[in-house]
Amino acid sequence: MVVDMPNQTSDYDNELERITRLMAACERDALAKPADSESATKFVYLMYQRASLAGSLTELAALETAITAAIEAIGPAGDLYFLKANLDFKLHRLGAVKQDLETGRGLKDSPQGKALQADLDFQEGRYGESRRGYEALIQDEPTWDNLARLAHLKFKLGDFAGAEQCYIDAENELTAKEMRSFAWVQLQRGLVGLRRGLYKEAENHYRMAALAYSGYWLVDEHMAELCGALGRFDEAVDLYRKVISAVPRPEFQQALGELYQSMGQPEQAKPWHDQALSTYLDSAQKGEVCYYHHLTDFYCDVVHDGEEAVKWARKDIALRRNFSTLAALAWALYRADELEEAVETMDEATSSGAVDAHLFFQAGTIYQAANGNGKGNKYLRMAAEINPHYHDFHAHR
Amino acid sequence: MADHNDPNAVNSIFSDIDVSAADLYDLFGFPSADTTDGEKVVIALTFASVPEPGILDTDMLYRIQVLAEPRVPSSLREDHNLDDLLRYFNALREKYLGPLGAAEIRVTVDSSNRATMRFIDFPGGSFVKVVDTNKAVTIDTPEGLAIKAYVGGRDDAFFNDLTGFFRSINYAPQFYHVPHTMTEVREAKIPKTLLELDGNHFFNYDPNFPEWGYHGNKKNLPAEPLVWNGDRFYRDKNGNYRFVYSGIDCQAGKNINAIILEIPLAFVTKSPNQHRVVSTWGESWVLKAANKVETIPDHPFWLEHPHVLLDAFRLDEELKKYKLVDTDGQPFADAALSEREDNRQLGANNFWLAPHFIKRLAHLGWGFGPSITALGLQTSFDHDNSPVSVHKTYGSVLQAFPRVKKTLFQNLNMPDDSWNKKGLDISLRSPLDIFVPNVCAIDMDTTGTWPFGRRPEDQVATRFLAMFLDMQAEFQGKKYHLDLLNDQSLWEHAPIEPKTPPNPLKNDKDFLQDFPYLAEPW
Repeated sequence: MVVDMPNQTSDYDNELERITRLMAACERDALAKPADSESATKFVYLMYQRASLAGSLTELAALETAITAAIEAIGPAGDLYFLKANLDFKLHRLGAVKQDLETGRGLKDSPQGKALQADLDFQEGRYGESRRGYEALIQDEPTWDNLARLAHLKFKLGDFAGAEQCYIDAENELTAKEMRSFAWVQLQRGLVGLRRGLYKEAENHYRMAALAYSGYWLVDEHMAELCGALGRFDEAVDLYRKVISAVPRPEFQQALGELYQSMGQPEQAKPWHDQALSTYLDSAQKGEVCYYHHLTDFYCDVVHDGEEAVKWARKDIALRRNFSTLAALAWALYRADELEEAVETMDEATSSGAVDAHLFFQAGTIYQAANGNGKGNKYLRMAAEINPHYHDFHAHR
Repeated sequence: MADHNDPNAVNSIFSDIDVSAADLYDLFGFPSADTTDGEKVVIALTFASVPEPGILDTDMLYRIQVLAEPRVPSSLREDHNLDDLLRYFNALREKYLGPLGAAEIRVTVDSSNRATMRFIDFPGGSFVKVVDTNKAVTIDTPEGLAIKAYVGGRDDAFFNDLTGFFRSINYAPQFYHVPHTMTEVREAKIPKTLLELDGNHFFNYDPNFPEWGYHGNKKNLPAEPLVWNGDRFYRDKNGNYRFVYSGIDCQAGKNINAIILEIPLAFVTKSPNQHRVVSTWGESWVLKAANKVETIPDHPFWLEHPHVLLDAFRLDEELKKYKLVDTDGQPFADAALSEREDNRQLGANNFWLAPHFIKRLAHLGWGFGPSITALGLQTSFDHDNSPVSVHKTYGSVLQAFPRVKKTLFQNLNMPDDSWNKKGLDISLRSPLDIFVPNVCAIDMDTTGTWPFGRRPEDQVATRFLAMFLDMQAEFQGKKYHLDLLNDQSLWEHAPIEPKTPPNPLKNDKDFLQDFPYLAEPW
């Protein structure tokens, strides 16, 4: 008997179809009155998976409504608030995440709640606490996702070897039943290589991700950035267009615009930039905060409007004060010719312990502009030591 | 959006935690009645029928380890102390990590559902054979011995009131929709018990919802904590206790996948006349993601995980491509004594867990011991004559040990002498002999009934409970024994409802007299 039939559809399509089928199967029970907590919870988790897998902002919005309804029907169940916290986190609503952790029954003290708390610590710049949180969780049980979290923290703080080992350990926990997660870890490892200028290494990981889990737009999106950095512009353009046709999110439109810009084709860049900005602004107008960071980058590096950039950077830093938002504000202030505050802010960013070529490039540029007695050159050297190709094309993540 | 690390962005998190082909169910082992051309040992490993009965998962590797040795009298006596016990565990560690490595059978299935069976390091040789699944086949060894093998779907050979067991330990996920984030709620902090507790409305039988806890019928988790503050067992208007068990076979009509072998003893050992005990245990391994794409080198995770450190030395190149998921030796060794935590899947190496084993047994004893006493029976557990079950956990093995000493060391009487088919001088076994190490030790001079192996017809769930009976006591002029709680006449006279043995007395389908022994799938 043949079990595995030859299959023309991709892993991504298969999984999306499977989730959709499961949603259809449990939708009736999930929405029945009185609510059956298991069915309702399963349904909203499937919604979350589908929305996340498809990268769909529309589905995420529908999910939020569904979670709220489920909580109203069932009460403050830990699983529902865990899901809500994940959604809030994804949308940068860190205050809401804290509330979710407090409200969800038993959530705060659960391993999942503790991991979220460590994520919060990271986002709010408490790197020591974040690290201790991850390490304690891994001590209890070395799950792949917590190992990947710790790897990310180590990478951002410059422990590249430690990050690599954590990612390897995470891989080692993943089985053949978790190929999408394996592909995700490959993307992270590739990104570590990319940010250090190790393009070949990055490409190997991205190709491994594509082999492990076929048809995934997230792999294409990462590969598009790499192709841009490598100067394989036509390939990069094709990939970005493919990604945007599947997942029309503004950050990818901005990336394609910037790619055209770096190719010396501003007329090709403009419509993509216009679309991206329009969506960012619509989102902000609706009260969403998840694109503040991108708006800052956009005004800094696409249209060079320092004042607007500072406006959005201040909003973002009010939500989460970490090296990344500090650096973004400093860079915006630099664009706005407010050098004194730019230096102060960048001092805070660089004293955080973060080790990042892009951060150091921005720091070096700001310190040079402020006549910082050789400090600027020092940071530019440090940037080059981490990534000799830090000037190459890169996407804003 | 999401300019931060987000590993769970599309991770399954919880909602699709399905039954897995890695879930091992049972390991049976007994001497074959067919002694034509010499003695043979039967070993059957059963597991979840995923993707479906008769079709096996191609990412799995099943491993059955086998070690034949002489029978030696137990070195454990009831007057032993904790130091002696720890020495015993150390001796086991040497034995199971030392040079006397077990032989093994590995089974994988390819995409055409053909099984590759590798016989490795047997005294009778190492070789590979590819066989059809769902068909009893005969495999010739290099020395010309015949091994019978069956890989495929069968009826689930386990028959028990699983819901009753979960009610006895107040295991909430059987009765409530318990959020995955609320791990501490799973085993509620309510005394474990064989008799319903007065006022324990969180777990007691609900006459308005008789199917509650059966066939997936659950309630929404109450908002209030699952606690019990009573001080007595429930009694009805006639003064009868209510049994947490119903005797219903929760496994009825279910299928499993299985690897069943009938192996000549002469293949397992070169000294079949001396090596009379065949120890066996099963493992499930799932292919690592990195090896699914077959290019990434392996890097075992070492830190703080002694079993992984151990594996790094022991595992060959093939096993390093897989991740150990489940182990099976003795029934209830994981579920009842190790709380089924994944990182406790140590199989035969469960001596690492010896202190936990003692503390957990004491915890169970505080629940089951007073229940047994209330029924007018004698218990091996020292519960200070508590009139009702108590929820008590131990942080210290020193405190737990005196309570469980008798339970650990007492010899478990058999119901009659039929198990000892040759009338040899074979010692009875104690719980400690049985559970540490976690192997099925098949005595070839017995019928192989539990605990001298495990036959499909053994009602092991009820025999497990009998460990808490005082084997020195007598019922109707006869010493307590492992099948006492299977005796209907005991329940007829007990102040309890329903008047039934806790678990069904036989399987829903008759077992076969011959290989492959387990019944056809439904």
